[in-house]
Amino acid sequence: MITMEFDEMKKIWDEQNNRPLYAIDEKALHNHIHSKMNVILRFTNISEWGLIIIYLGTGIALLRLNPVNAGANVFLWLEAVWMFITVVYLVVGHIRRIKANRRFDRSIHGDLNHAIFLAGYQMRLSQFVGWNLLPMGAIMISGGWESGKFLKVSAVILVSYALAVYVISKGYNANKRRKRELQSLKEKLEA
Amino acid sequence: MTEKEQLDILEEWLRLHKGLIFKVVRAYTLTDHDDLFQEIIIQIWRSIPTFRQESSVTTWLYRIALNTAIKWTRKEKKHAAAETIDNIQHLLEENMTQIDERLDWLYGEIYKLDEIDRSVTLLLLEGFTSKEMSAMLGISESNVGVKINRIKKLLITKSKNYDYHGI
Repeated sequence: MITMEFDEMKKIWDEQNNRPLYAIDEKALHNHIHSKMNVILRFTNISEWGLIIIYLGTGIALLRLNPVNAGANVFLWLEAVWMFITVVYLVVGHIRRIKANRRFDRSIHGDLNHAIFLAGYQMRLSQFVGWNLLPMGAIMISGGWESGKFLKVSAVILVSYALAVYVISKGYNANKRRKRELQSLKEKLEA
Repeated sequence: MTEKEQLDILEEWLRLHKGLIFKVVRAYTLTDHDDLFQEIIIQIWRSIPTFRQESSVTTWLYRIALNTAIKWTRKEKKHAAAETIDNIQHLLEENMTQIDERLDWLYGEIYKLDEIDRSVTLLLLEGFTSKEMSAMLGISESNVGVKINRIKKLLITKSKNYDYHGI
């Protein structure tokens, strides 16, 4: 049993400055980064396919409900066409992303860069979905104008738009935070 | 400030003062070293454009690291998960060479203090003055003085019950 004076504690404290306190466990770090990358990859796949199915399904439903004939609402038809264009854009984006995935090797830095790339891709995807609501909303409102239900359609679009923007911004911010964390980890490793 | 300049500063600060961050991390968490370390780095990175060189880099880094650790501890308490030392795979391994067991004891005692007292103890051991501590922690100088006296007495008293087996 001993009694330490504070000066003695200070001396013990200062001694730690002369040796490294921690070393990085590379294997654990790689597992940590790899699991983060897998989470983002899974999330990205779900988002991409989810959006493709939603846009494609809605486009087909609009066409079936509003067949191209004399009495068709041209704006609903336009909305369907817009959705198919969006699907094409998403599929092209998906293919390009898959091709880009091959650039990254299975090293710590490869997985880390891959995870950063995916988080950035997710952010761009959220932005795209958000901005894409504008033309879609405009077409729907125009359709409502033509059918004489302008106010009702506008109100529905406005509420849906606000909800969609809220959800998208949540996803966007989560990915932004994730990307920043990964970048900071990368900087820490490269320091 | 460009992103490149910001990154250069962060790299330089980490190269020179990494030990400081490790000390704060170790004093504030038993298990989540990696998370807190990462959080502190992020906050330091964000703070770089606002650093006006009115204080030393060490003072600035301590201020950021301690405030981040205090906020982080409060947040973690709210979302306390059932994590134990055994089920966490650490990214940062403690360097076990030539450890003075009294240092482990000291960290253990610091960890038992409340969040503000932990900061005061760390800063005291690092040799900061009451005035500097007061500015960093946002509490009055007299309050810092009272805390310092209480902490010193407490640590000395606790050391009486500590069984030291030598290095």
